[in-house]
Amino acid sequence: MAAAADPAAGLAGVGIGWRPEIAGLVDGLPGLGFCEIVAESIAPAASSRGVTPLRGLRDRGVPVIPHGVRLGLGDAGGVDAGRVAHLAACAVAVDAPLVSEHVAFVRGGGREAGHLLPVPRSREALDVLTRNVRRMQAELDVPLALEPIAALLDWPDDELDEPDFLTELLDRTGALLLLDVANTYANAINRGQDPAAVLDRMPLDRVAYVHVAGGAEHDGLYHDTHTDPVPDPVLRLLDELRDRARPPAVMLERDGRFPPAAELRAELDAIADGTGLARVT
Amino acid sequence: MSDLAARQAALVEALVAGGPDPAGFDPARLDATRKALLRKRAGETAKHWPLLAASHGNRWRATFAAHAAGHEGHGALRDGWDLARALRAAGTLPTGAARELADREAGWHYGGAGAPRRRLRARVRTLAASARRRLLD
Repeated sequence: MAAAADPAAGLAGVGIGWRPEIAGLVDGLPGLGFCEIVAESIAPAASSRGVTPLRGLRDRGVPVIPHGVRLGLGDAGGVDAGRVAHLAACAVAVDAPLVSEHVAFVRGGGREAGHLLPVPRSREALDVLTRNVRRMQAELDVPLALEPIAALLDWPDDELDEPDFLTELLDRTGALLLLDVANTYANAINRGQDPAAVLDRMPLDRVAYVHVAGGAEHDGLYHDTHTDPVPDPVLRLLDELRDRARPPAVMLERDGRFPPAAELRAELDAIADGTGLARVT
Repeated sequence: MSDLAARQAALVEALVAGGPDPAGFDPARLDATRKALLRKRAGETAKHWPLLAASHGNRWRATFAAHAAGHEGHGALRDGWDLARALRAAGTLPTGAARELADREAGWHYGGAGAPRRRLRARVRTLAASARRRLLD
């Protein structure tokens, strides 16, 4: 399949998650390889809220990836047609090379969880994910990349480990992998596993692009907060990844408690250096 | 409802709406997840209600959690609105946050359920301003 021949879908270099608070900094990155926009934060059909903030980046030819956070590909109740249509419309509005969403469920019984929650790693959950992913793919003209989440809990009835579960999901759907090394690190540490050994078993030949984010320890658990600096062990795991399969495209996610611009630039440089990609600052 | 759908619903209820812990899960991990969800909601609410959050300093997350724990979120705008009103009713809403709440309530009607609606006079002002701009351009 075409997607397998070019898992990066044309993405290359170092990118960043676009957020309104750092719009100026992102605009001022001369070598920016790509950026990601939270799909639920834009309204592709409305001129006022629309995609105006991204116009400058698009004019510069910076690829923009809509990143969904509320679709709920793991929701056993199915995905909402309006949310599927929204993500597809985002892809068209920014002329995206691909879109991404999470291997997670986000609501149940009419309640919103407010964040991404893990599905059980079971055959039943694989069937749900496969059905929902195919439904999303049917509305897209571009590839869909799936991101495994950082989870603080596991279901009692897990049948597969995470690498096997993901490999089977990607095999069934043809979807690409959005590998978040901070999530890989967080899950391994919180399950008492060696992060590099987990990385070894991930379907690295399917990586479209890579996320890096900060986190911190609370009460003996590692939390993938996106509001703290990227810790050294996460950067070291990025080195481990490069040693196995050099990723074509890597980006930083920062969602809050934004540091001075110089600190974010330094993190972008560290990510570039750690993956052998050109600095974008 | 399928078995998995029912179990997902029970897990969400346990995490955000005060429901019982589902069988078989590690209670400590459920508790850690509950706290992480509240921290995330507190951060999002702070973006919509900057004075409310800032006026509580490093007690913001605890203040938010004390109010929101066991209650499903309704989005950062409504969550902050509910908290600000509860603190005002208790007489503990700091001055800056009180002004922020008063400004919101001057422009918007929020009945405590459903999405806040722009007040008529605020809508008229907006329309008048845009009509003026069109005439002058």
